[in-house]
Amino acid sequence: MSISRRSFLKGIVATSAATLVGPGLLNVAKAATADSAGQWKVSGSHWGAFRARVYAGKVQEIKPFEADKYPTEMLNGIKGIIYSPSRIRYPMVRYDWYLKRHKSDTTLRGDNRFIRVTWDEAIDLFYQELERVQTQYGPWALHAGQTGWRQTGQVHSCGNHMERAISMHGYSVKKVGDYSTGAGQTIMPYVLGTTEVYAQGTSWPLILENSKTIILWANDPVKNLQVGWNCETHESFAFLEQLKAKVANKEIRVISVDPVKTKTQNYLDCEHKYINPQTDVPFMLAIAHTLYKEKLYDKKFLDTYALGFEDFIPYVTGEGKDKVEKTPEWAEAICGVKADEIRDFARLMAKHRTQMLFGWAIQRQQHGEQPYWMGAVVAAMLGQIGLPGGGISYAHHYSSIGVPSTGAAGPGAFPRNPDKPDDRIHKNNDFKGYSSTIPVARWVDAIIEPGKVINANGAKITLPDIKMMVFSGCNPWHHHQDRNRMKQAFHKLETVVAVDFTWTATCRFSDIVLPACTQWERNDIDLYGSYSGRGIIAMQKLVDPLYQSKTDFEIFTMLARRFGKEKEYTQGKGEMAWVKELYDGCVAANKGKFEMPDFAKFWQDGWVDFGTGPNWTRQADFRKDPEINALGTPSGFIEIFSRKIDRYGYEDCQGHPMWFEKAERSHGGPGSDKHPIWLQSCHPNKRLHSQMCDSEEFRATYAVQGREPIYINAGDAKARGINDGDLVRVYNDRGQLLAGAVISENFPPGVARIEEGAWYGPTDNTIGAIDTYGDPNTLTLDKGSSQLAQATSANTCIVNYEKFTGEAPAVTSFGGPKEMA
Amino acid sequence: MKQLIKKFWRTFSTPSVHLSFGLLTMGGFIAGIIFWGGFNTALEVTNTEEFCIGCHEMSDNVYVELQETVHWQNRSGVRATCPDCHVPHNWTDKMARKMQASKEVWGAIFGTIDTREKFLAKRGELAQHEWDRLTANNSLECKNCHNYDSMDFSIMSERAQVQMKMAAERDQSCIDCHKGIAHHLPENMNSGEGMLGKLEEMATSGYQTGQAYYSVRQLPLFEDQGLSTEAGQLNAATKVKVLAIEGNAIQVEIDAWRKTKGFGRVLFEDFAMNINDGYLTKEVAQSDQFMTQGESKTDDLTGLPWQKVNVTLWMRNGSLTDSRDTLWTFAKSTYDSSCSVCHTQPAEAHFDTNTWPGMFNGMLSFVNLDGDTQALVLKYLQKHSSDFSDAH
Repeated sequence: MSISRRSFLKGIVATSAATLVGPGLLNVAKAATADSAGQWKVSGSHWGAFRARVYAGKVQEIKPFEADKYPTEMLNGIKGIIYSPSRIRYPMVRYDWYLKRHKSDTTLRGDNRFIRVTWDEAIDLFYQELERVQTQYGPWALHAGQTGWRQTGQVHSCGNHMERAISMHGYSVKKVGDYSTGAGQTIMPYVLGTTEVYAQGTSWPLILENSKTIILWANDPVKNLQVGWNCETHESFAFLEQLKAKVANKEIRVISVDPVKTKTQNYLDCEHKYINPQTDVPFMLAIAHTLYKEKLYDKKFLDTYALGFEDFIPYVTGEGKDKVEKTPEWAEAICGVKADEIRDFARLMAKHRTQMLFGWAIQRQQHGEQPYWMGAVVAAMLGQIGLPGGGISYAHHYSSIGVPSTGAAGPGAFPRNPDKPDDRIHKNNDFKGYSSTIPVARWVDAIIEPGKVINANGAKITLPDIKMMVFSGCNPWHHHQDRNRMKQAFHKLETVVAVDFTWTATCRFSDIVLPACTQWERNDIDLYGSYSGRGIIAMQKLVDPLYQSKTDFEIFTMLARRFGKEKEYTQGKGEMAWVKELYDGCVAANKGKFEMPDFAKFWQDGWVDFGTGPNWTRQADFRKDPEINALGTPSGFIEIFSRKIDRYGYEDCQGHPMWFEKAERSHGGPGSDKHPIWLQSCHPNKRLHSQMCDSEEFRATYAVQGREPIYINAGDAKARGINDGDLVRVYNDRGQLLAGAVISENFPPGVARIEEGAWYGPTDNTIGAIDTYGDPNTLTLDKGSSQLAQATSANTCIVNYEKFTGEAPAVTSFGGPKEMA
Repeated sequence: MKQLIKKFWRTFSTPSVHLSFGLLTMGGFIAGIIFWGGFNTALEVTNTEEFCIGCHEMSDNVYVELQETVHWQNRSGVRATCPDCHVPHNWTDKMARKMQASKEVWGAIFGTIDTREKFLAKRGELAQHEWDRLTANNSLECKNCHNYDSMDFSIMSERAQVQMKMAAERDQSCIDCHKGIAHHLPENMNSGEGMLGKLEEMATSGYQTGQAYYSVRQLPLFEDQGLSTEAGQLNAATKVKVLAIEGNAIQVEIDAWRKTKGFGRVLFEDFAMNINDGYLTKEVAQSDQFMTQGESKTDDLTGLPWQKVNVTLWMRNGSLTDSRDTLWTFAKSTYDSSCSVCHTQPAEAHFDTNTWPGMFNGMLSFVNLDGDTQALVLKYLQKHSSDFSDAH
């Protein structure tokens, strides 16, 4: 039989017609299955993806997305965000500012008296102030660079909108770094050649397969992996579950080095190595001492892959400038770990494959650069860097790091910058000798001491004289330290603009407050899994913007219209056009690698699944060929001694990792006689920073007498006559707050926790007024980590507390302002 | 029509009143065998190369292109026929592919690609279908012959070893890198597809000997004019001086510095500046044949010894530009857009030359940049860092 392709193709057409009849029968029943009680839609959030049932214009019910096998209970708080009594309903202006504009009585900031204005008037005022500051002063007087954890969604990402619009009007002061990892991201490029804190880590399956010992160093992944920078997938929890089984079967030893028994420790049922707060560096120095003295360190690895060991080791052996040998006995007196236990710990690490997993808390303290650097030195001495299940990670608790990456491209974002860099109304780029970029946590210093010159990362920074600030989806009155110092600073500001959907303390201390809508009142698109790249999630608008709120896109379009840049700002595209453009860009970037449906199908399905990626080992390429795959350090090798940092000549961050006593420290440290309790303000278990604190019903699941919990030790409580559930006054020389006592066996003597993100609610606008809800940053220290990173030192904080007696003032944090007629 | 279907369905679904159950079942069975046998025979015919090239769309285009490649003729005399690569070998996938082929039936009848021009215009789309299919099955048809486990990496060139070992570790799909291995690539691939095309578009032509040019992307270097022995790789935006032009090959001179800890394989643009110019194979790096060695001095900031070298090697005649500013413009816009997705991108002059690699590498997992563009953007940032600028 001979059939040519041509004749076959022609012949088959005749018979094909019959097969064309048929489809359509299967689809009939589909419409009938729609829920009679409303419509189900897909959306995403930092807390994960979900499906929401919308009925009668209201979100009725939230169900975890089916691909999320380990959803967080925080999904229960989402409805409460949308329908919170704290929502900003109308554009509002601070009463005194409305009367006197930039010449208002700024000591009244925080008195919470506001007046309602129309959108047009509010945007006019915003624009007039920008114009005034640019012409009367210049770009150095405007700081619109503070950005934070925003709501998710790549089209509406609020920082992008704010910065694009403000940049199209003129230049302004920018920031570098962030409040979470400021010290870590600054020191690690000198040591291991990347920020480390935001880099993908060794895949969990390889850790589970190869590690014999895992050290969780001040690290609580079970708590912190509930949230992600983009829409979180919670894929890590499958691996943590396997780890729990391996701990139970004694296949892997997990040791949590922490003053506190963490949620992760309790979940894994793993070992605990108690250590005094802020004393990780002495412990690590003593580990190095043992490794060196007992010849348990990998000399060959150090010779091949590291520089400066010989410049560092005299400091350990007591031949350095301070002539102090860093023996385990020396460390014991500071860190509270028995000398023999330190030796055993070092031997255990050297004996098997050991994976160190560091959290971020220990770099959010004074000299926060040191524990991170010293951790890398210990890892280098162990010689397991670049091996699967060995070495050191600084990020396995963040946004599913450790879940293998699919390698798929994400959707990009609405552009943050003007399309043409110099396309601005005000082209004045003269900062009059002030620095145009400042370390993120030093803006309050700038307001208080403009013109002061500080060291930062090898540079001299001249703090600018800031007169006006603009915030969007950013709550520094939660994340910055020392509220009463902030109050002082805000007395010096002429104008503050806040854009948000909810009445945060930042809004209370602002002059013009503009109501944005929540992320569930707009259409958007997001990456599903920041590091795993699991897929793309559709964020279908659940309900229309409530009250008079608008999307950030609309708000800043209105602003751009005031100075004739509306078209440049939007590129002539509306919300859905942008959503589709980001999706199509993603399709193009993934072409030939990942098949993606067209936009209509994606939007209907609610997501695209890229599956799972291949396993990967951090620094394996460097280990394989350190010459070609050099690290990003100045030398290309691991820098145990950094000549570059040494040249800066900083007293508080020298050429190699060192132990520095803190400005204040519990457990026998400076100031502990007066304020004996260390207050840790770690990331919350039932919020994302300050997000979701305004969700009433969900807050009620953890609040104590309507206040933020303070977790305390039973003995400490007893000594103060405090029972579980009592109101306590927590205080130091910087401030005071009310919180609700939770006595917990997880907390050792001298240690207390108030989770950051608790909303600040002072009784009034005066300096020193008690905080009625329990924001720990009422008490924290506002001091740069060192002259290197100038990062936040929030965890260097000691306090005392007592039972609160008398009539408790009402909580003022929630429910918005007093509206003036 | 509706009536007709109803009538047909009624007849079809009503039990037979004339024939026995046994006869019906047996009859159906026998008819099935005859049909199945015939179907499979017919199907097998469609799986021969003769069948495939029976129409001129195939024989005049992709078939002649195949004949220029190693998959047609090679020293061992094994060759791939059309169905080896284009028809799945397992039955289910084969059926699925055949169902898809109904579109080709349509095309044959309506002359969608009956001229070379029409074919070329359509090639991108057709190629994409095959790439998508091979991506989905992890290049199964390639792997029917080429098996990672059976590869002897030691007899590959050094550059191939690096790439192939990485690919093998991840069981990477062959087609990810080997597009165009058996047929020409779509013509518009350079302009329309990906960053690579954008970079290539910046290349100029008509190079003059004695003049300096810059590489538009990472490019292989060779020891010889025949371009047969790998000598290393030139990084993006690297300055070379053209010494000779011989057809497909050009001889270039690279002025660089290197660290002498290790084999001295990595070339840097200037003393104590980690601005990567490319790398050499061990053989080239350790040989005097391709380079003259200049002064040596120690970098105080790292304590490492550096040496000036002048390297002369061969490369393909192309992918160079006389204007590095063109590359910088592209790199700047890529940096401004890609690195502002999550945060404000730091000003170029915010960091110094040797700090940029650490900052840049630490954030790479958040951006969608291919290796060539990464290298270009990093070099742009380094060359506009605080070391080269007064602004801060």
